[in-house]
Amino acid sequence: MDILTALLQGLPGFGGMSDQGLFITGAAVMATLMFTVMALCAIVFTWMERKVAGFIQSRYGPMRTGRWHGWAQAVADMLKILGKEDIIPAEADKGLFVFAPLVVLLGSLLAWVAVPWAPGFVAADLDLGLFFIFAASSMVVIGILMAGWASNNKWALYGAARGAAQMVSYEIPLALATIPVIMHVGSLNTQDIVIAQQGGIWHWFILRDPFLFVAFWMYFIASIAETNRGPFDMPETESELVAGYHTEYTGMRFAFFFLAEYANLFLVSLIAVFVFLGGWWSPIPGLDFAPALTFVIKGILMVFLNMWVRWTLPRVRVDQLMYLCWKVMIPVTLLCIVGSGILMITSGAVG
Amino acid sequence: MEGLLFWFCGSLLLLGGVMMVVQRSAVVSALWLVFAFLSAAGIFAVLGGTFLAVMQVLVYAGAIMVLFLFVIMMLQGPVMDGERRLMHPALWPLIAAPPAAVLIMLAGFLRGDRMVGFAGAPAPGFGSVVQVATLLLGRYLLAFELISIILLVALIGALAVGRGERKLPWK
Repeated sequence: MDILTALLQGLPGFGGMSDQGLFITGAAVMATLMFTVMALCAIVFTWMERKVAGFIQSRYGPMRTGRWHGWAQAVADMLKILGKEDIIPAEADKGLFVFAPLVVLLGSLLAWVAVPWAPGFVAADLDLGLFFIFAASSMVVIGILMAGWASNNKWALYGAARGAAQMVSYEIPLALATIPVIMHVGSLNTQDIVIAQQGGIWHWFILRDPFLFVAFWMYFIASIAETNRGPFDMPETESELVAGYHTEYTGMRFAFFFLAEYANLFLVSLIAVFVFLGGWWSPIPGLDFAPALTFVIKGILMVFLNMWVRWTLPRVRVDQLMYLCWKVMIPVTLLCIVGSGILMITSGAVG
Repeated sequence: MEGLLFWFCGSLLLLGGVMMVVQRSAVVSALWLVFAFLSAAGIFAVLGGTFLAVMQVLVYAGAIMVLFLFVIMMLQGPVMDGERRLMHPALWPLIAAPPAAVLIMLAGFLRGDRMVGFAGAPAPGFGSVVQVATLLLGRYLLAFELISIILLVALIGALAVGRGERKLPWK
């Protein structure tokens, strides 16, 4: 945001603006930018997901819309969704039904505020950055419960209950897995976390010590569960729950859930990148000419990894999901914290 | 600017509190409570307690209220009916008397120059993670650890009550 304010100050017509005016304009520009990126990633990733799924299942995926490998398929789908009839079930709780998709979208959009795109380029340079991201994305759970309840449909309610249980549980290993990194950096600020990883791939936190390596994979597994994607897509299991908490939603309101899902997918991938995979630093030191591009490319590679897992592994059962979280991942992440701390003390990094 | 935000969040908090009490549906009322918690987080943030604000959202709005909603959704029917029967209109003044008395006492206490409203943001660094962590893991370490034992006891107690004594895993 600092860079943006400086940029605005240089533009004709903005020079004479007061600090507060500049702040508000900068915030508005940043919010528009974030929302555009979010909407774009939903469009790009739906196409990418179909192509990846096709590739993994030895078929083509969309090929016709827009000539080149069906690139316009996602755009066409979005237009179709916008034109659909907006249905609110007669027995639904109208207010909550309308409001729920907005809460879900708000939760994931709010979390984007603290993502460090490039040196000095972050919408809000918060001291509690990482912590803020986790807090904001925890609001998504409330939105999902609202949607499930307001639909007045037992499948939707089951889906919401599963989604809430899963997301509340996996939030714990997700946050715990990042604690070793926070101990190394000594700050929760997202910019500081990336700056601490300067100087080539061996300085990235994933390769700093063996416990951090394990913590990264724990984070990765938890992030799949947190975004409700396969093999942990229990809230949406088609064979059991129709479509889960968004069964009754159509048109634009469904599009909000859709948008939030892909925005969340990209968000958890970006968190993985800036916490463990060096953020905007390139793997080879000295090649950092396009920090934001490096950051986004790494994020897209993480999204690809996520899709790869989704289309390769079969779905787990609900009890297996809970067993994995509480009896495997939480103890392992706690062990990572202790182990990384011991290594830090023995190597003399802290007194 | 801060003063304006303080009063804005304060009025939202009041709105959330009132709406929570007057709702007929327990689920909607719980969601208004979430709204009130978020406004309270806003007040903390304005007052410089960003850590407290984020904690408020993460723990209260994001985790505890989710459990509340869970329980309410599961128990909706029977509990609500029981409550209706209990709440005979003749009992309302009796129930409203104690909170009203407290409110009047509070108003009396805050009258005059004690009622300052927004007194400006505190010094930078106040309520930061470092400060909270130093206090929690330094001066109040014992109390902090004892609380976790109390929570563990409560957890085991809930397990014992919920499953019946004979079905406990260690029996």
